[in-house]
Amino acid sequence: MMMSNPKRLHPIAAVANFLKQLKELIVPFVIFVVFGSRGGNGEIIQLVITAGILIAVFIFGILSWLRYTYRLEEGELRIEYGVLIRKKRYIPLERIQSLDLSEGLLQRPFGLVKMKVETAGSSESGDAEAVLTAITRQDADLIQQAFSSAKNKSSESMGEIASGIQPRKVIYKISRGQLLLLASTSGGVGVVISAVFAFVFQFEEIIPYKKVFAGLEGFIANGVVFVSILVFIGFLIAWIIALVGSMLKYADFTLRKTEKELIITRGLLEKRQMTIPLHRIQAIQISENLVRQPFGLATVYIESAGGSLEDNESARVMVLPIVKRSRIAGLLKPHLPEYELQPGFFKAPKRALGRYVWRGVLGIMPLVLAPILFFRPWGYFSLLLLVFSLAWSYLKYKDAGWDISSLQLSLRYRGIIRTTVFMRKNRIQSLTMSESYFQKRRSLATIEAIAMSGTGGTGGRVPDLDRKEVYAIYKWYSHTGVNRNMPVNNKKRS
Amino acid sequence: MITEPHKRVPARGLLAWRISGTIHSVFPLLLSGVSIALAALFKWPIWVIGAALMFFSAYAYVVIKVLPTIKWKRWRYEVRENEIELKHGIFIIKRTLVPMIRVQHVDTKQGPILRKYRLATVTISTAATVHEIPALDVEEAEELRFFISQLARVADDDV
Repeated sequence: MMMSNPKRLHPIAAVANFLKQLKELIVPFVIFVVFGSRGGNGEIIQLVITAGILIAVFIFGILSWLRYTYRLEEGELRIEYGVLIRKKRYIPLERIQSLDLSEGLLQRPFGLVKMKVETAGSSESGDAEAVLTAITRQDADLIQQAFSSAKNKSSESMGEIASGIQPRKVIYKISRGQLLLLASTSGGVGVVISAVFAFVFQFEEIIPYKKVFAGLEGFIANGVVFVSILVFIGFLIAWIIALVGSMLKYADFTLRKTEKELIITRGLLEKRQMTIPLHRIQAIQISENLVRQPFGLATVYIESAGGSLEDNESARVMVLPIVKRSRIAGLLKPHLPEYELQPGFFKAPKRALGRYVWRGVLGIMPLVLAPILFFRPWGYFSLLLLVFSLAWSYLKYKDAGWDISSLQLSLRYRGIIRTTVFMRKNRIQSLTMSESYFQKRRSLATIEAIAMSGTGGTGGRVPDLDRKEVYAIYKWYSHTGVNRNMPVNNKKRS
Repeated sequence: MITEPHKRVPARGLLAWRISGTIHSVFPLLLSGVSIALAALFKWPIWVIGAALMFFSAYAYVVIKVLPTIKWKRWRYEVRENEIELKHGIFIIKRTLVPMIRVQHVDTKQGPILRKYRLATVTISTAATVHEIPALDVEEAEELRFFISQLARVADDDV
């Protein structure tokens, strides 16, 4: 192996260290500057101390770069580092779960990459991983090759030797139009909508003032127009920033598949690469937000085991950022054949509608009543909320659904966005059915299934389905259930 | 066919829950005591004392008598060869299935009250969830822990 000699990171890593330290120092630094100045001599002393700290941090950055070495030796990635306390971290290659590559602003000009080494271990998370801040592409490739050949060796006992670069098949690549659509219909829009809502309520509160100070009416009204224009401009700018931000983040989004992994690359300024080993996939989730759903667009996530506490992004990975709902199954089915992504759903029975509505109304009641009680004439506008809540409850009722296809449970439900989750039976960690007194009277029940995601759980909960059907799911999941056939066979609706 | 789980929490568990309910009602006792004292000192209307007493007795009745009784009556569990089934709940009755192969580890723990009655709480953890049997005889809990850890073999590394 070429890399058995200890190697340093690229010198740019020293700069990265320096900047990172500086970032951590900013808060104490600001405090020091604000509270430390007493005029006269103080300022000079302050300046000296500041310069001293900067130089010390810089030297420290260089020293820690000098001390940091890595090498591949005896099937281990061996890292030695530490200025005052010297540490050695040896990571056996078979223990590595994934290698994530990214190219930040610092790395790109030099053609370098940042490599994040992740190992399993939910309990000692953050402890057992390493970050190689700046290494050359060749070295990254070497480590990756060593990693994948070690993987193959351990699983297939020397069956085949990984032929360097595995064939990669592109499953999905974002187009320019899709990118724009993605950015403009993402969370940014939600922020704007909620801001507009908040603003409308603000308006309501201002109106009684107007009544009280009748003389000031004109002035306040003008003020309101002025302020509202300012606020609108503010939101517009925030939205544009969010738009540009997510366009940069998801530019060139590509989903590829090798034999045993899904690989995602994305980003314009900072390129990221994420790898999901197929056998670690725990669940697939399709989510459709309110803006996208009417256009038949959806986002697909994959929940996988692994990842660390700080970095939950690697547990829930977006694999198809924006795609026609009807195309999802066609795109993913060939690569994830064990998942049935277009099942017909059993829906909640008619008698459940009342409970959905009732829950929504109870939840919104305080918000409706308070304005009516306290802001008499205008408060009645809050009844509009009630209308929204009714519509929302109806949507929730309409979207609730479940399906079982051989070894897979699919659940569909709506919080604000509509979520469909697909879980294989052997990936479900626990299953709960629950019924309250009121549900029992209408012979309804709630089903909840939990799968693993990163270090926590994910899953789905659908309230108020037909009790018999819920029981059928329960029996399906039970390992003791002798009767594997589903008792429910009628009324399969989509 | 799966039957309903049928094993019950020992009756001593009910006693232990009553005691911890009693301890829980010390705070409302203090609260109503203080308000009664204040009412007496500052000559507040008499109904304040009545309301405080009512509040305290209602709270104590619910926490010491009603809730533990229902909880105890409802609690059922069963450990089978392939899975653990739990059934419990006061207003909402929950039935949960945990397959044995998904169990990662089993813990037992005891507070001072449970210890006095030779009881223990058994906690069953999967990769994503934690389930609890709130009060079991110590020996039974130990046995259960041993039994489950014998049966629960993590089949594959990939959870």
